[in-house]
Amino acid sequence: MRLVTHNMLQCHVKGCNSNNFPLQLSDVEIEIQETDFNPKFLRNMLSKLEWNALVKTALEINITTLPNVLPNDLDEEFLKMLHRVLLETHIKQGQMICPNCNHTYPIKDGIPNMLLSETET
Amino acid sequence: MSSKKSTPTQAFLYENKKSLNPITEEQQYVHDVYEKIAQHFSSTRYKPWPVVEEFFKELEIGSIGIDVGCGNGKYLDVNRNIYIIGADRSSNLIEISASRGFESLICDALKLPYRNECFDFVTSIAVIHHFTTPERRITAIKELFRIAKPGSKVLIYVWAMEQTESRRKFDENYQDVFVPWVIPADKNEKREEIVYKRYYHLFKKGELDELVLNTGLAKIIRSDYNKDNWYVIAIKK
Ligand SMILES: [Zn+2]
Repeated sequence: MRLVTHNMLQCHVKGCNSNNFPLQLSDVEIEIQETDFNPKFLRNMLSKLEWNALVKTALEINITTLPNVLPNDLDEEFLKMLHRVLLETHIKQGQMICPNCNHTYPIKDGIPNMLLSETET
Repeated sequence: MSSKKSTPTQAFLYENKKSLNPITEEQQYVHDVYEKIAQHFSSTRYKPWPVVEEFFKELEIGSIGIDVGCGNGKYLDVNRNIYIIGADRSSNLIEISASRGFESLICDALKLPYRNECFDFVTSIAVIHHFTTPERRITAIKELFRIAKPGSKVLIYVWAMEQTESRRKFDENYQDVFVPWVIPADKNEKREEIVYKRYYHLFKKGELDELVLNTGLAKIIRSDYNKDNWYVIAIKK
């Protein structure tokens, strides 16, 4: 799972409707997989992310390179750093914890399992 | 002769067993079956449908979206200029999708774990027909529109009662059927042929459009029949 995917996820336990995003990452194992750099793709994608949540989540996995505010002028060096964080960084193992209800969603072999048991839906 | 063409296509009649609730039924006749047939199913799913392929190819560069019910991920690399998440209820199918390097996760289409209006596009290919009641089909469709941004496109494909391409002929009095999935016998493994029953609700002409419009969440911009399926492209309001 990449951080872009994580940026879209929220807790969906029944009745958990506020403060349920972003899910907190814990006990993670990270793997870097290189991929082609596509600056136009990256620029367009950036405006679609919840930046504050992304910065917070990145810090949880010790990525400290993201500024608190997305700069207006995105030079190549900055985009390459983002490329690494957003598209090449994969969370292979770990869990995601809801900040509101503490429900835990596991990530195994890079795959988050978001299924709930019947009583939680 | 390829073995892919030899699947018998006679549908079994579906008897609505009152003892089973929709959750149990879908577990038994949809989720459990896909878990068991995942590998064989995946080996037959490689050729993209042109309408779906075109939908993905026309998206703007940098779009972020999701394919709900992605199966083995057959559409996830159609367009390399978009960011697409593949989601499926079947962990075995999702493992195949993930092993191909695609962004993949396990979730339930009735309750999607995503923020409201966070995606630039949403697709649901051959999924909604597996829900056993009208209420559940509507819930699943509403979820697709809930997570789509206003103005974004949502593509929904479902199986048609009216089948013209295959040898299947359905009795129009029965919209709820079991369709067999046949895993051929394997002499090397000394295994007999295995037949699994999958539940399908066969959509009649106009039925999908009506469900989409009844959500009040979208405007239909295209609605057509293609390859034994009805499909709709709708814009989230
Ligand atoms: Zn929660």
